[in-house]
Amino acid sequence: MTSIDVKNLTKEYGGRRPARAVDGLTFRVEPGRVTGFLGPNGAGKSTTMRLVLGLDRPTSGTATIGGRPYVTLDDPLRTVGALLDAQAAHPARTGRDHLRFLAASNGLPDRRVDEVLEETGLTSAARRRIRRYSLGMRQRLGIAAALLGDPGVLMLDEPANGLDPEGIVWIRGLLRRLAAEGRTVLVSSHLMNETATFADHLVVLGRGRLLADVPMREFIDAHSHARVRVRTGDPVRLRATLLAKGWTVGDAADGDGRWVVEGASAEEIGAVTAREGIPVFELADERASLEQAYLALTAEAAEFTATRTASSTPSPQEV
Amino acid sequence: MSAAVTVPAVLRSEWIKIRSIRSSFGSLLAVLVAALGIALAVFPSIGQPEAETGDMDPLFWIYYPMNFVQIAAISFGATAASSEYLNGALRNSLAAVPNRTLLYGAKAAVVGAGALVVGVVAGFVMFFTANAFLGKYAVGIGEPGALRSCFGAGLYLALITLFSMGLTFLLRSAVAVLSTLIPFILIVSFVIGGVSEGVATWLPDRAGQQILFQEPLGTLGAWTGIGVTALWTAAALLAGWWAVRRRDA
Repeated sequence: MTSIDVKNLTKEYGGRRPARAVDGLTFRVEPGRVTGFLGPNGAGKSTTMRLVLGLDRPTSGTATIGGRPYVTLDDPLRTVGALLDAQAAHPARTGRDHLRFLAASNGLPDRRVDEVLEETGLTSAARRRIRRYSLGMRQRLGIAAALLGDPGVLMLDEPANGLDPEGIVWIRGLLRRLAAEGRTVLVSSHLMNETATFADHLVVLGRGRLLADVPMREFIDAHSHARVRVRTGDPVRLRATLLAKGWTVGDAADGDGRWVVEGASAEEIGAVTAREGIPVFELADERASLEQAYLALTAEAAEFTATRTASSTPSPQEV
Repeated sequence: MSAAVTVPAVLRSEWIKIRSIRSSFGSLLAVLVAALGIALAVFPSIGQPEAETGDMDPLFWIYYPMNFVQIAAISFGATAASSEYLNGALRNSLAAVPNRTLLYGAKAAVVGAGALVVGVVAGFVMFFTANAFLGKYAVGIGEPGALRSCFGAGLYLALITLFSMGLTFLLRSAVAVLSTLIPFILIVSFVIGGVSEGVATWLPDRAGQQILFQEPLGTLGAWTGIGVTALWTAAALLAGWWAVRRRDA
């Protein structure tokens, strides 16, 4: 199957004092999984996607789909489906006409237009003008356009934007299914908890640079530390035992007699309490959320940038 | 796999784009409506009295509605181009047709062909409508320059449409183009229009309209005149093509 390859990609905007939107980026998006594309607003996610599609010209570096630049593809819509900006449609057209001209340009039959309208739940609104679409409907139309050519690669910029709760559940299932079918799926988002529900792999950007390119599980483990939640029938003995072993114990945020043991795993605590014969009612590893891991990473990155800037004194021309 | 983005496929896609936007397709139809409407409004009343003064070329007087018809053509060219810049719609077009020269060329071909077909029909409509009310000042279709002027009107309208389309791609705004071209054609060209010598002769509208005269004035003949307009159009189309190819979408 087809992968997306980004190599040493750099994009500068502006003339005399150029700003780097994307800075020496290298990563590969593999088929068969959903890759979450994360980073704060302005980190370069959308710019990277535009560069992959050949809409913007890179200052240097390359972006290819299955080894070929997008602009050289024979069959672009059957190769890559992209949703960049759901607002980027002419408001005076009907949703169906919007899809029809896209389909016609790539020799796709009108039957495909009706199929993707059905798939995205837009059949009843197909002949309405886009100006009268809600934000969620425009988002669905953008997704319909991406699915038009039944492509092996999908690249969606914030697809959940504006969708209602039902729509969010739908898009989650759709992304999972597309990846399970062996397609390459790249989905950008700034919503961490939402991304956690569908991504297998993460590519994280900060200020145009690559901060991480790892499986999601690994990312969370690497940027969070172990902690365990425990509830006991014998607080006095448990506290004494844990402190003796060198662990710190604190009350869990939701109280109710639960404690949080930092730096420990459930296996360790379980073994200790069993050995000591301390009754335990509840014992669980507390997994950090993707959001916490992400914030930990960006805090590290910010610190790294601050240290680097402080230690080197750039000449005025470089600024 | 053979390429799916073929020239006929992109032409069809561009035609769907024009058909599906009311302001574009409406402007194209307005070329016909204006040709018939203005002719019917003008010639029954002042057609003969004006012809009687003998100040005007008898054939050129028939194309009086062209002053308004060309505004519809300019709008058609401008909206066909500007629809790609509304809300960044061009990104969708380029994702489907990444070859920018193909996309631009197909649009120019469809817009130009549409304007030419409608323009020729409008040319004959203006000719026959005016003649129906001109009595003894009527010009027969067999008379010198008559047939040339009917087809020439279509050619002129197609060129003016593409001129406007090219400029709109360059400036990325129909408002900018319409607010420059329309006052230019209505006022500037009108005011200095009496001067048939000098710079005015070479303006895109003045030069091309020589094809509507029985006896072209000044230095340019009917066909050289339309050739000058074609050069203006080619320059505008090239500038638009350069902008589409070079700029980030």
